[in-house]
Amino acid sequence: MIKSGTFKSLLRRHKNVLHFCQLSSAAQPQSDPKSHSFRTDENDPLKHTLDHVGQYYRVPQNECKVYLYGGLPKSYEIQTKTFNETCLMVRKPSVDIINCLKGLDYTKPAVRFVLFGKKGSGKSLTMAHVLHYAQKAGFLLVHVPWLGNWMRNPKELSSSETREGFYDLNLDAAAWLVHFKSQNEHLLSAPELKTTREHVWSKRESTPKDSSLLELIDHGINRLKYASECVLALAEELKQLTKAGNCKTLVAIDGFNAFFYPKTRVFKEKKEVVPPNKITLTEAFLSLTKFDWNNAAIVVTVDEIAIAEEDHKSHFPRYLLGKEGFEHLDPFVPVFVDAYSPKELTSCMDYYRERKWVRYFPQQDEELASLSAYNPYKLMKLCISL
Amino acid sequence: MAAIKLFSNNLKIIKGSVPTLSLIIQKNGMSQYPSYYIQPVYKKEVQEELAKTGEAQKLTHMPTRAALNNQTCSHTQDDLVNLFTNYVMKDGLKPLARGLIEQAFENIKRIQLEKYHKCQDPEIKAQIELDPRAIFHKAVENCKPIMNLTPIKRGGVRYQVPVPITPKRSQFMSMKWLIAASKEKDKNVRFHYQLALELIDAANNKGRVVKRKQDLHKQCEANRAYAHYRWS
Repeated sequence: MIKSGTFKSLLRRHKNVLHFCQLSSAAQPQSDPKSHSFRTDENDPLKHTLDHVGQYYRVPQNECKVYLYGGLPKSYEIQTKTFNETCLMVRKPSVDIINCLKGLDYTKPAVRFVLFGKKGSGKSLTMAHVLHYAQKAGFLLVHVPWLGNWMRNPKELSSSETREGFYDLNLDAAAWLVHFKSQNEHLLSAPELKTTREHVWSKRESTPKDSSLLELIDHGINRLKYASECVLALAEELKQLTKAGNCKTLVAIDGFNAFFYPKTRVFKEKKEVVPPNKITLTEAFLSLTKFDWNNAAIVVTVDEIAIAEEDHKSHFPRYLLGKEGFEHLDPFVPVFVDAYSPKELTSCMDYYRERKWVRYFPQQDEELASLSAYNPYKLMKLCISL
Repeated sequence: MAAIKLFSNNLKIIKGSVPTLSLIIQKNGMSQYPSYYIQPVYKKEVQEELAKTGEAQKLTHMPTRAALNNQTCSHTQDDLVNLFTNYVMKDGLKPLARGLIEQAFENIKRIQLEKYHKCQDPEIKAQIELDPRAIFHKAVENCKPIMNLTPIKRGGVRYQVPVPITPKRSQFMSMKWLIAASKEKDKNVRFHYQLALELIDAANNKGRVVKRKQDLHKQCEANRAYAHYRWS
């Protein structure tokens, strides 16, 4: 059963995004002319260096809604609404990745970056920063905001028509296609992005060779039944086009280890669990994270929260990915996202105070630092009632 | 200074005749501490003050109770908020009660900040109170009644007689009303959200709880003719 309401809301978002650029964003508070140490005026992620580490920069509201849609954790999104602006802290892992992306040789096979760290240390926000950079640097973004939504909270399940024993998450796939389209609106209209072969969906429906990618995506969105197939076809096309040098691609997947965790919450009719390797979407994104293509970069996070709670035992990639997943990603560049440094914590508290979120009392920073153990999420939680 | 007063009382007990066992038991109730144990001084400022005046020297060798686990020297600690948490608590589920209060404070902050950012006029903007604790204290203060009605039977008829109440009773009633008002809500509104709304309203001297207080005062005023039943 397709829930028409959900799909309608999807389309509505699609429409909104299309017209978003014309909408003027709400009145933004102007930043103080004098420079604060916790805030940088350098709002362009292309120019961020290690000197900016620990400082906040502002993401324009319209960019945030389009490019970081779903990329910010929900609790952070509520904060941005309260603070009336979206600010991200420049941190070392993201600057490191950005520096790497700047210096990469794109004729070589794609490099995989794996972000890992304890719960609440800021992996997703690091990725959001990288994503913002990639968007500015003209990458085509293939961004899965949170894989847990598919593996642990799927909208609907249907068995695949073309593949024996496989299952489709068509509603989620269509939602992702809408997201992909809105993120890359400006790039997809380029004339070079054309399908390299004909895609046949059924007896009567097919997408001919040399039609634009937009047509392919629109077909997936309009014909929900073929959304998962369309994602597969899109992944294949993107690989071909990127290899041919028509575009630069950044694949960003949050909670990547969910692809290798057998106990999903995707259930068949008799409450039988569908493992991730029997879901068509998995295939598309696993093929995108292989290193058999160039002109691309891949950033994934491995996160404990993407798997069931009883298995939150370690935050290291080898445990979270398992043998199979580790071998799939190997060789990769591990990027450890650590807790706040004392400087970052002070800057975070300064930011909260400037936004009038917390009131100052003597030795506030020291007390909260020891209570939160410098963990960004815990710090945020501790500050909610101050 | 309560601690010093208690200390001198205790000193009297020790220096004077040895208290009889029955006295200790009577005074002590269920406590594991004998009655001559003094309350701990856990706030840094109070400790410093005691050290300055030299009282600390006297307290050094007094038998002292251990501090409770919610008595810390942190600036986030607030006696009135702790008391309120205990009033909210049911079945001894303190972490739950504490969480509700914290969430209520979070909601207060979010609601007030939204007002703050919406406001264009800088003068009004500066007046918006953003501190949830200040709002809480103001709300409790604004809801305190000064009189209460108590039923007294005279000649087979129960009269609602206005009586003055102690500050402690008045504070308790204020907090009780705030909690009761927050529980009276739509099914799909959370308690902590409603509590936040009630606190903000009460701090601005509006809302249901303040009205309840005023209604009680009015009733007391109307029943003033019965006041003499308190004595006769």
